[in-house]
This record gives sequence, C-alpha cells and structure tokens, in this order.
Amino acid sequence: MTVIPSGNLQTTTPAKNYGTNILRWGAIAFVVIFCLAPVMWQVLTSFKVNQDIAAVPTIYFPGRITLNHYIELFNRRPFWRYIFNSAFVSIVSTAFSLALGAPAAYALARLRPWGGRVILAGILIVTLFPGILLFLGLLEIIQRLHLGNNYLSLIIPYTAINLPLTILVLRSFFEQLPKDLEDAARVDGYNTLQMLVQILLPMTIPALVTTGILTFIFAWNEFIFALTFITREEMKTIPVGAAQLGGASGFEIPYGPIAAATIVGTLPLVVLVLFFQRKIIQGLSAGAVKG
Amino acid sequence: MTNLQTIRHREQQTAWIFLLPALLLLLFVFGYPIARAFWLSLFTQNLGTQLQPVFSGLDNYLRMAGDGRFWQSFWTTIILTISTVSLEILLGLGIALVLNQQFFCRGVVRTIAILPWALPTALIALAWAWIFNDQFGVANDILLRLGLIKTGINWLGEPTLALIALIFADVWKTTPFVSILLLAGLQSISSDLYEAHAIDGATSWQSFYKITLPLLMPQILIAILFRFAQAFGVFDLVAVMTGGGPGGATEVVSLYIYSTVMRYLDFGYGSALVVVTFLLLIAGVAIASFLLNKSRLSKGNT
Amino acid sequence: MFYLKRLQEHQKIFQRSKFWLGIFIVVLLCIILISIPPTLSQQPVVLNLLMTAPDAQPWKQFLIKDFEEKNPGIRINLIEGPNATNLLEDLYTSAFILGDSPYDLINMDVIWTPKFAAAGWLLDLSDRMTQQELAAFSPKDVEGGRVGGKLYRIPMRSDVGVLYSRKDLLKQAGFQPPETFSDLLKISLALQQQRKVNWGYVWQGRQYEGLAAMFVEVLEGFGGFWVNPNTLEVGLDRPETLQAIAFLKETVAKGISPPGVTTYIEEDTRRFFQSGQAAFLRSWPYVWPLANAADSPIKGKIAIQPMVSNALKTGGSCLGGWGLGIAKSTKHPEEAWKAIQYFTSEQAQRQFILSAGYVPSRRSLFTDPEIVAKFPYYPKLLEIEDKAILRPPIAQYDQASDILQRYLSAALTNRIAPESAMKAAAAETRMLLKTRGSRE
Repeated sequence: MTVIPSGNLQTTTPAKNYGTNILRWGAIAFVVIFCLAPVMWQVLTSFKVNQDIAAVPTIYFPGRITLNHYIELFNRRPFWRYIFNSAFVSIVSTAFSLALGAPAAYALARLRPWGGRVILAGILIVTLFPGILLFLGLLEIIQRLHLGNNYLSLIIPYTAINLPLTILVLRSFFEQLPKDLEDAARVDGYNTLQMLVQILLPMTIPALVTTGILTFIFAWNEFIFALTFITREEMKTIPVGAAQLGGASGFEIPYGPIAAATIVGTLPLVVLVLFFQRKIIQGLSAGAVKG
Repeated sequence: MTNLQTIRHREQQTAWIFLLPALLLLLFVFGYPIARAFWLSLFTQNLGTQLQPVFSGLDNYLRMAGDGRFWQSFWTTIILTISTVSLEILLGLGIALVLNQQFFCRGVVRTIAILPWALPTALIALAWAWIFNDQFGVANDILLRLGLIKTGINWLGEPTLALIALIFADVWKTTPFVSILLLAGLQSISSDLYEAHAIDGATSWQSFYKITLPLLMPQILIAILFRFAQAFGVFDLVAVMTGGGPGGATEVVSLYIYSTVMRYLDFGYGSALVVVTFLLLIAGVAIASFLLNKSRLSKGNT
Repeated sequence: MFYLKRLQEHQKIFQRSKFWLGIFIVVLLCIILISIPPTLSQQPVVLNLLMTAPDAQPWKQFLIKDFEEKNPGIRINLIEGPNATNLLEDLYTSAFILGDSPYDLINMDVIWTPKFAAAGWLLDLSDRMTQQELAAFSPKDVEGGRVGGKLYRIPMRSDVGVLYSRKDLLKQAGFQPPETFSDLLKISLALQQQRKVNWGYVWQGRQYEGLAAMFVEVLEGFGGFWVNPNTLEVGLDRPETLQAIAFLKETVAKGISPPGVTTYIEEDTRRFFQSGQAAFLRSWPYVWPLANAADSPIKGKIAIQPMVSNALKTGGSCLGGWGLGIAKSTKHPEEAWKAIQYFTSEQAQRQFILSAGYVPSRRSLFTDPEIVAKFPYYPKLLEIEDKAILRPPIAQYDQASDILQRYLSAALTNRIAPESAMKAAAAETRMLLKTRGSRE
C-alpha cells in the first residue's frame, strides 16, 4: 500500500506492483464490505418473511420475499407524516441556517470585524457542545413558551446547531474567492448589498449547496431534541418514530418493520450522498482543515 | 486618513450587522442553557418539592459526590470515549490512505465510505441491535459458522459484551468522519515531497513516518478533539441500542442526565450534572487544544 | 475579461435558480397548506388513551366499540405504545413535561400514580366516587391510587405477587404448603434430594423493577420496610433488610435456586417452572392459565398461595396492576369520567376478563360464578389481594427503586457485601428524599 499519490513515479518493479495492487484492492474491498454490510443486512431483513427473520441459523439469501413489512410500517404508524416532518424541519432549518450563516461568514472572511478572532474561537468551541448540555435549558424555554409539539421547537435549535458548521465552511469558501472581483465590482459602481446579491451570491451557490446538504443531513438525523420536544405521533420525525415502533404481542419486537423503517428513513440520505459525495467531502474538509 | 477611517468604520458596521442575527441565535441556543444550568444547579427542584425551585446551595454537588450511579456512568463514558476514538483514528487513517489512491470507481467507494456517517444514528442503532441480537443476530451466526463459539453470545445482555457491541457500532458509524478529515489533510500534502523523498531512496513506509504522519498531525489532533467531544456526549446510539442496559452497565453520562431530568423530573440535580459534564468537557478540550497548539508550533520549527 | 465571462455564466445560473427557487417555494406552501389539519367544528369528542400494543388488542376488539355504541358523540382514540412498560411511562412523562398532554385518559401502573400526581398532571377524582362505590374495589388497590389523601386513579386491572407450588409433589412427599421461609427452604431441599425436581425455588432476580416488587414481599415477611411513605424514613440499613437479603442469597448458596436466577425476569422463571424443573415459583397470576394449558407438563398440578414469611409475620404480596386516571389538562373531563365509569364497570370488566384473562379489580368479580368457572383460582387471589402490600407510594419512587435495584443486585451477585450495599443504598435514598428543601 503506497502513500505516494499514484500517477507519479513508477519506481517499483512489476512484481511488486502486483503485490501492492492486491493489497490495495483488498483494502478497498474491506472498506466497501465494512461500510455496506450492516445497511445491506437491514435491506435484506426488511424483505424477509417473519419466519425467515427468526430462522436459526441465519438465512442470508431468502427464498421468498415480502413487502408486508413496508405495508405494515405505513399502516401501523403515520410514517408518511414522519417523512414529511423530517423533511420539513430539515429543509426549513437548512434554509434559515444558510440565511443567517452566509452573511456572518462573509463578515468574518472579508470585513474583519473587531473581535473577529474571539468570535471565531467561540464558534469553534460551541461546535463541541453535545446536545445533552442544552436540552434542559431549551426544554424550560419550550415549556414556558408552550412551543411543545411545534415545528419551531426543532427548527430553531437545528438552525443554531448547524450555524457553526455553516459559518466555518462558508467562511473558508469566501476567503478563497478572489478579492479582485469585489474590487472590480465596486469600481463598476455596485454598492455592498448589490455586489453581494448579484455577484457574490451566484458564485457561492456551490458552497451553499455543499453546506446545505451537510446541514440537511444533521437535521434529518438529529435525535435527542426530536425525542424530547415532540411527543405527538403525527409530528414526530423519522428517527424517533422508528425507534418507538411497538410490536403486536408482548414479547415480539417487530424486527421486520424496524428494518423497513431504517431503509425508508435512510433512503433520502443515501440518495443525497450518492449524488453529492464530492461536495460533502469538500464541505467537511473545508470546515475542518481551515478551522 | 479620515476617509480610510470612515470606510473602515462602515466595514465594521456592516460586519456586525451581518454577524448579529447569527450570534444572537448562537448565544440563545448555546449560551443560555449552560448559564441556566449553572444557576439552577444551586436549587432543588424535583418531585419532592412539587417541582418548585427551592434554594439549596451546593447540596446537589454534595449529592453527586456520593452518587454511585453518576461515577459509574462517568467511568463508562471514559472507557467508551477512549476506545472508540483510538480505534477510529487508526481505522480512519487506514481508510483515508486507501481513499487517497487513484483507482477505478474511486468516487463510488468514497460514497460508500461516507455512508455510515450520513445515516441517522438512531436507525443505525436499531440495525446494530438487530445484528447483535442473541438469538437471531448475524454476529452470532457468523461466529458460530466460523466455529469460534459454541452457543450464541448474549451480546446486549452482558455488561462487558454490550459495551463491546456499542464500541463496534460507534466505530462503524463515525470512522467516516475521521477518514474525511484525514483525507483532506492527505490531499493537502504536496506530492513533490514524496517525489523528493523517493528520489533520496526512501521506501513507502519511511515516507509515511517522515512525511505523512508529521504533516497530518494537526488533522489528527483536530479529529481527536472533535471525536472526543462527540463521544463524551454520545446519546443516540446508546439510548436506542442498549437503553443504558443491561442493568445500567452501559449507561453513559448523557443518558444519566437525560433520565434524571426526563424520567425522575429532578431538574435541580440534573442541572448540576450538566454543569459538571460541561466543565469536564471543557477541561478535556483545553488539554487537547493545548497539545494541538504545541504540535503546530513544533511543526513550524521543522 | 475572464471575470466578466464567469460573471455572466453565474448570473445565468442565478436566474435559472431563481426560477426553481420560486417553484420550490410554491410547492412548499402547498404542502404546508395541505398538512394543516382542517378546523374541527362538528367533530365528536375524542379521548386519547395510550397503552402497550399487546394490551391494546382486547380494547380494540370490543371494549371500545361497545363504549362508543353506548356513548355516541364520544370516540376513543387508542394509541399503541411501546411494549416495555417503563418506556410507556417515559412517553407519558415526556408528553406531560411539554405542558399540554395529548392524552385524556391516563392508563397507569400502580407505581406511577404518586409521581404523576405530585407533578400535578392528574385530575383529582376524590369527589367522583362515593365510599360505597370505592368499597367495590380492593382496599389496597384504591389506596395505591391515593396521594396526599386525594384519589387520582380508579383500579381497572389488578395484579398481585403470588407463590406457586407443585401440589402434586408436596402431596407425594407428605408436606403441607409452606408458611415460613424456613419451611420453603426445607421442603425445597427435601424434594430436591428425593430427585423430584432439579431446583426448589425460582424467583426474579435481574436488576429491574420486578426485583423491587419481589423484594418488598420478602422484606415484609421479615418485618422490614423500605421507605415509610408518611415519614420518609428509610429502612434499608436495618437488620431485617439484611435478613431478607440473606434469605435470597441462601437459596442460591444452598443450590435451591439456580445461579442464573439473578438474570431472570418473569418469563424466564415461568418457563423454568412450567417445564417442571422447580417446585416453587414466585410470580404473578398470569402464569396460571399458561401453566394449565393443554400442552403444559404441569397441567393441573399447581396451587397458589400468598408469599411466605418468617414465624412472626404474615406473608406480603406485592400489588401491581393498572388503573385509569384523567389528565388535568384534558379538555373533556366529563366525557373522560364517563369512559372510566364504563371501563371499570362490572359488565365491561366481566367481558374483559373472560376474553383476555386479566385479573379484575372489582371484588365481586373474583367470586362471580361465570368467572370462577374459567379461573378457579380467583377466590384465592382475592384473599391474597386484600392483604397485599404496596411498594412505597412516594413521588420519587422511580429513583428510590433504581437505587435499591442497583445495590440489591450487586449484593445478590456477590459484587458488594450486603451490609455495605444496603448502607450505601440507604444513604443515597436518604440524600434523595432529604431534598425537600424547606420541609426538613
């Protein structure tokens, strides 16, 4: 396994090349199997008949498949609502997060405000706070404002939690933009706002998309706030709804419908990752490397 | 000179106008709960006081000192954090090295590599609980078929085994995060360095130790920092996969805090727990960033 | 200039994206409008009731239908919750904590009532039933629903800890049913020596609520107590508690109980007993019909009795069971009360019991001929229930139970010495209950 980015010098003999190739493909195979296996297993389980699910030894390639679990999933619980709730909260909080984060990122990148270093350090530190430290204070506020079982009780915290990442990623992006463009625009007579909206914004769309995807993923996957602040069935998000699926008899955990719920709940994200893999990696590394 | 001053002034103004909404929201969602926790920890507010706050000074902290369950959960959290973070750094580094290569379908493999991190932890916890199921789980099945065990292991029913299962699931879930960070770091290392080193007659292993590792150290430390904070506050995975069981053996600090507030309605004590967890986290982060700074300084010297 | 070209490209993209943004916003608005529930005007009163999915079946099948027929204009919306009852409690708590509760009728385990009442979530039902009407239920059951002198819960389904014995083996060996702990040990050993059974006595020893339920019975039998609900005195570090723990440890040490008993919950112990491996079982009434099923090896061979005690006391049986209360935040208290009256009425209970096999809460039904025909052990059960004991009905029961479970389990599995375990448990419990601020 070489650490030299290949495509450069081939100073190794063909035999050694063969060896490293085997190692490399072995490593790749390991990565693929390691990452895919649990997900694939849930896919399989979601299509297996109940008897096959409970079969010992485990059946890996079922002879018969069923869509019952998926049907049961949507019948027993308002899963369509869960999907809508997750999507709604994620999209709105992403929009808010971008709307608040982009100007802040621009300010930190270009306008060098007084105290900018401190603000940046503060934002970095705040990224490290786990949700458990915040949920008690937020719970009290939600109780007082009667915001329980309200989309806002999730949208506002999600926006705030996604802000640090948004600001960091967009800030590193803004720093990379050529300054000359803005100077040229100013020379051409644009004022700050016009320049931002008409010139800078179109250029930042790739970064906005990247950040938007990351914040969407975080919001979709969030659990502890969704668990605490939303208790009405019709308003729950997917992770919470799936984790609370009950069974038909006292001692049966519905493994089939749970697997189906896992697949349905992760499908949108899988699609996102599939299409935007490169951007996601860019976004994460930009946020971390520059930070 | 006054012109420059006014321009700078206006810049400052605009900058702060742009920053204010975001900062206010951050202060509200992050700052207020922590401050509130500090304040409320000085009160007793639980079912015994009809959920009314009664000032009690440092009583809650005294109670924490003798609270066996808190110290047990703290210890469990430390074990979980150290195991998962170390495993993830090693595994993440390996995966990053692989992903840094050029090969056919690299994009697809990268997508697959990110997948675990992008999926909802709660759903993944369900999946892993199913894999480690003692009667029908795949883990037992594979071990049985390989002949490594004779009867099914009750993974989630034994304290140590449940912890191992959790570590496994957590490593699977968050290694992609580490790999992506390290991958970015790897990509920023100029290939000229490797070329020069190779010309000087170095093997790939030497290149790894002399070039890759030192240059990657900042990224590794950043990854450790982030992962440490995340692992210390882990909630989703443990809550859904084991619920803190069996018998509280895998209860981590965040789970205990959650139970104290949401099950026992002991708000004052819960606040005290939040404060102590926060201080411990800050301490850990301070140590890590101190080390990070030191490494950055020493890197500057090479 | 290079910049100009890039600028134009980006502006084109921007124009296009503005268009798509517009479409997106319109679609979003449509979705929002569709999902806003239609304003209710002529809808019937809907009462929300939560219960575990398995319990919900008989309700769905006839109870609710029957009630709705008799009460047009009231609908019961049955919400199926998770199977584990402690998860159900969490659902209630998290729903109530947010302020307005989505549930109108509160289906409560007996140990939740003090907590819900202390938190101010339940409606006071004291004036809704006369003393006479309440006398129809078992006194301890009613007491379990009282907090601070006020009534918050009407019992619906009872449950009480009992001791099962293999009466055929006892008869064969010429033993009378045991009355004391030493009897139990003696008979078990004798039967084991005669190779009639592998094990003598099996009980629930895993670290969970069932352990606390089992333990209060043994504790009562030795004359000890856990927490006095009136004075909040803690009795865990008294000698009686240590005697109780010693008894339980003795059963394992002498080989009377299998060593795995400290990991058993109800179903484990039932399977054990039902396969004929043990002579005595401490469990709940639900075991009887299963143990007497056609395919059970011990069909017709079991007897039921109250838990044993030491020579000076009487045996304690732990009270369990479910009851109904009304949420304070409900908008339909009157309709909810109607529902409770119906569900705890004699005819509804009768149907319920005959079809689902639950234990009634109305005393008359225990000796009702139709029911006794199907469940001959119910009259005995009534005797046991009348003398049942409650787990401490304090508001912070959950926390106290958790402390006891942890330390008791550690003592039973030999991780800590019983004396230090109980000392620590008592200290923590005192610290917990002391936090009443100005009350002390």
